[in-house]
Amino acid sequence: MFQNFRLSMAWLHTWFGLVLGFVLMAIFFFGALSVFDREIDRWAIPESRFESQPMPSFDKLLRPVFESMQPSKESIEQMRSRVDGPMPERFETIRSWGAYTTHRDPVLSLFTSYEVPNAKEPEESIRANRTIDPRTGVSLPDDQLKIGSRFFYPLHYSLNFRWLNLGYWIVGFASLIMLAALVSGVVMHRKLFREMFTFRPKKSTQRSTLDLHNLTGVVALPFHFFFAFTGLVIFAGIYFPVSHSQLQQLHDQHEVLEAKETGLPHDRSGEPAQLASVDAMVAEAHRRWAERGMAGEVGFLGLTHVGDSNGYVSVYRAGTDRVALTGEGIHFKASTGEVLREDPPSTTVENINEFLTGLHLQHFRHWLLRWLYVLGGLAGCVCIATGFIFFVEKRKRQYAKEGSQTGRVVDALAVTCVTGMLLATVGILIANRLLPSSLPSGWPGRGDLEQYFFWGTWVLAMAHAFLRSAAVAQAKLNPAWREQCMALVVLAPAAVLLNWLTTGDHLYKTLSNGYWPVAGLDISLLVASGLAFLAARHLRRKALGAPGSVHRSPVLADAEVQHG
Amino acid sequence: MVNLLLVAAAIFCFLGMAWLALAMDSHWKQVRKDRLTEFRVRLLRSLGSASLLASVLFCLAADHASMAALVWTMLLAASALGVAFTFTWRPRLLSLLVVWAKAAS
Amino acid sequence: MSSASSPSSWQVVSRIGAGVLGGYVFVWGFIALGLSGLYALGMPFHDAEALSNILGFLLYLTLFLWAFSTPYLDRAWLVLVGSGALMAAIAALIQHMLV
Repeated sequence: MFQNFRLSMAWLHTWFGLVLGFVLMAIFFFGALSVFDREIDRWAIPESRFESQPMPSFDKLLRPVFESMQPSKESIEQMRSRVDGPMPERFETIRSWGAYTTHRDPVLSLFTSYEVPNAKEPEESIRANRTIDPRTGVSLPDDQLKIGSRFFYPLHYSLNFRWLNLGYWIVGFASLIMLAALVSGVVMHRKLFREMFTFRPKKSTQRSTLDLHNLTGVVALPFHFFFAFTGLVIFAGIYFPVSHSQLQQLHDQHEVLEAKETGLPHDRSGEPAQLASVDAMVAEAHRRWAERGMAGEVGFLGLTHVGDSNGYVSVYRAGTDRVALTGEGIHFKASTGEVLREDPPSTTVENINEFLTGLHLQHFRHWLLRWLYVLGGLAGCVCIATGFIFFVEKRKRQYAKEGSQTGRVVDALAVTCVTGMLLATVGILIANRLLPSSLPSGWPGRGDLEQYFFWGTWVLAMAHAFLRSAAVAQAKLNPAWREQCMALVVLAPAAVLLNWLTTGDHLYKTLSNGYWPVAGLDISLLVASGLAFLAARHLRRKALGAPGSVHRSPVLADAEVQHG
Repeated sequence: MVNLLLVAAAIFCFLGMAWLALAMDSHWKQVRKDRLTEFRVRLLRSLGSASLLASVLFCLAADHASMAALVWTMLLAASALGVAFTFTWRPRLLSLLVVWAKAAS
Repeated sequence: MSSASSPSSWQVVSRIGAGVLGGYVFVWGFIALGLSGLYALGMPFHDAEALSNILGFLLYLTLFLWAFSTPYLDRAWLVLVGSGALMAAIAALIQHMLV
């Protein structure tokens, strides 16, 4: 099929990159935003704009909240088909309670799960969750969307496309293609080191785009490779559910053995029991961590088999000082508070696995590294976007001669997933500030409406990109690029302005208070607006200066033939 | 203190990348008119490598080793981008890094 | 296998299939065998699982690239699906003996 290895790699890079690049663009961009998901949450939920809080007292504050929790009507509805007979009014048998916080969370997330009576699968659980202010125990309204951690972040790994888990699979496949594109890109790019620092914007669009494609691909190569790879490793259980399908029996057998070995009961005993002071257990855990030289806050507090004599309490450390996602968990008997088990030090394989997943999930406290990750993610976006532009630039004269519409479609899709995606992102932020806090009854929830705005803006941007794409078929620039840049120039500061008007938190105030979650997002929006302005001005000059024709120097020809 | 160490790591990383780039003929020509001698190439490469080494040491002094490895890798990427864009828009700035090399007459 | 410069659509589909599906079957077998085999040899269950997963994805990448570059596409299909199924069968056998 291909004459040689290099050509086969070029084919793969071009065509898989083209098809999956659109998905990868969203993965990289929303991944970059997810680095600051908690901060975006603060911007979107003004009530939660206060300092990060440690895990509050369980006995005084959390316990009554947990006891008042029950699954939502929607999740009961969803469960109905998986149960024989009627659904109970209340779910009484608690499988687990969990409270999770990080060093960037002012609010606390609580999760509960319950046994489902008469469920078709005996292991069936029904869940509930709630977000509270850990200072008071008061819950935050249900319909407030955490735009960072509950919308952008899942968009990054599942495209928010839940049906049959298909979103996860598309993202997984795109990650595999990303890895293949990196390897094939290195094979195609002969001057990996010789041209490492080269960017020549004054040369032809085709040449300068390729420069930027190579530059952003090569300098951040380790980042691109490890993030695509570790993303796959994190969701290995979804992509290769071996231990939950083919080797299910082995897995179950191991689970029972493990419970015996660790002394943490796998099942309930059926005998009710009281709950001892959990605060005392947390204090003991703190003492033991300090002994090991790993003092720190509690990240996750979990109670299993609540109310049963087999119940136990697990206290995990928030691992903010290292990459590996370890919790150094300490487990206590719930009824007495005696220590059942301390997690042993990690094995070598665990260390590797925890490092790989930890470097991607970034629970650590390190602002510089977070910003560097954003830079890496945006470099990935630039790399993919320039890939599209190069594809079109290289072929547009040929397409124009043949009357082919391919270039036009690719270019319009590129507009959609570059400026269109940015507009959708700004769109959801604007909707978040414009929608009233209480909506008339019968309307969708506020959070749902925000999401509709996001997708709506994106679809509009796409329609605009296609409507304006006729120029591309004549080997000219699509004016949608410039027009959408101009829309960003206006809309991004509008989001900042709306934040000021609706909350009173203007930049001078947030900056002088050192409140970075909101100041950071505001500044980023203003910077995005400025960059969009520069891009629009550049595109305008280009459109005026060289209508339809791009200067091409003969020297470049051979360098480009090899690429794509 | 940690912040100072990280700033030092970032500066040395940028310097290291810049010197390594200047050791390449095409980039040397962007900032200087005289010839890039064999001796200068070796000197620039040693300077660059030493500077990157210093950068990694500062990273290790600032953070746990596993974290330092990530910070350094990402600093390399950021510095390389920074150096490339400086060559594009402000190449003269980088000539400051080679003022010690007397212009050959 | 012809070496025409513009590949026929059937060849393209077959190659993509070999890389994606053939690769998947092979890696499935690899992970199943790695997990059950290493566990049988005494490695902790989750270690065996994590190690097989990590190596499995690197292997998938290699196989995917190989499927696109090998001149012998039929053989690639055979190797990928055949060995994948074989490894999965051995894994099932190991599970049968352990449980």
